Amino acid sequence: MAIDGTKIIHAVMEGSKIRESKGIIPLFGVYLSLCATQYYNKLSFDFEEKMGKKRESEARTLLIGAAQECGYATFQGIRDSWEWKQVVAPMIENKEDQILGFAAVAVAFGWGDLEVEELIPGEKLIIRVSDSYEARGYLEQHGLAKSEKCYMLRGVAGAFMDLIYGGDYPEGLYVFSASETLCRAKGDAYCEFIARKSSHRSDA
Amino acid sequence: MTIFDWQSELNRDGHRVVISGQPIAMHCHHYNINLQKTLEETLGAEGVQLLYRSVEETNYNGLQHLFNQYKKIRTLKSKLEMAALLYQNCGMGILHFKKVRPNSAYIVSTSNHHVTGWLAKHGRRNTPGCHFTRGWIAGTLEVIYERPLGFYIVEERRCKMQGDDTCVFHVKER
Repeated sequence: MAIDGTKIIHAVMEGSKIRESKGIIPLFGVYLSLCATQYYNKLSFDFEEKMGKKRESEARTLLIGAAQECGYATFQGIRDSWEWKQVVAPMIENKEDQILGFAAVAVAFGWGDLEVEELIPGEKLIIRVSDSYEARGYLEQHGLAKSEKCYMLRGVAGAFMDLIYGGDYPEGLYVFSASETLCRAKGDAYCEFIARKSSHRSDA
Repeated sequence: MTIFDWQSELNRDGHRVVISGQPIAMHCHHYNINLQKTLEETLGAEGVQLLYRSVEETNYNGLQHLFNQYKKIRTLKSKLEMAALLYQNCGMGILHFKKVRPNSAYIVSTSNHHVTGWLAKHGRRNTPGCHFTRGWIAGTLEVIYERPLGFYIVEERRCKMQGDDTCVFHVKER
């Protein structure tokens, strides 16, 4: 059975309308929040700017790392959740299908129209996104970028591979890392993320 | 107050998620708390201010858009109710606007996303940590009282992240 993204989107949209009395949204094993994309974009791009030219690379590494660590914990929570077992697990036939399920959840969360272009088990993942909120936000706020800007999705692409091929949780974080080879923010037709084994994790 | 039906405002526009037509993203406590920690650890007070300003401006724009859309929501009470309803339904928690005047305010939060998330990930901390909510309150009151961004200062005097029973916010003019 193929992964039916529509079912996952429906489950997320319905679940995100459920509130407990404290105003918290417990869904897919995590506490969810709904926040304007403008907030995340402003935070990331202003942080990068505040760090200045000298610390530009450090800023990017921190933002990508924050997303990869979060993606690793978040999607581990998601695949352990009751909702995943009810909605997604019945559609999963092999290990690789989990990545399709993760991508469908990311689409449901409003992160962009993620499509898995290529997956070589244990080696390489290519994800394409023609409308990432980070690229769109950068273009709207700052115009054309000189470098790629989708730090959150870049970290998340690495996290997807960490979870499936990185070994037992929580030891697999940063076994993989992703690069953003194309980005709409710098004028490309879509954003492309390629995750491969990290060179700096020799223990992997 | 039932004029604002948030359930019908939360929709999809293709692959995008929108509230009243404004694009939003769903993120969990892992990401939100990671971002806060990254900013605090890397830039210190400047990082805190950056987070505060980001949410202040975003909420200012968002609420202004909503108030323009819901013209029947005119009184201070109904505007504060709508703001609290939005905060709650975005999974941010509970806000009680206790005493609100044009030059000062006192707000209590009995629970919120950042407290729950911070405690789950890192346990108690020694300083107040609801910078997101401080910025959110500032943006809210600046829209309601038609003041410019940065007009109010919001201080958190008690915080559940430190072990207090509630989070308490005091607002004054800058």
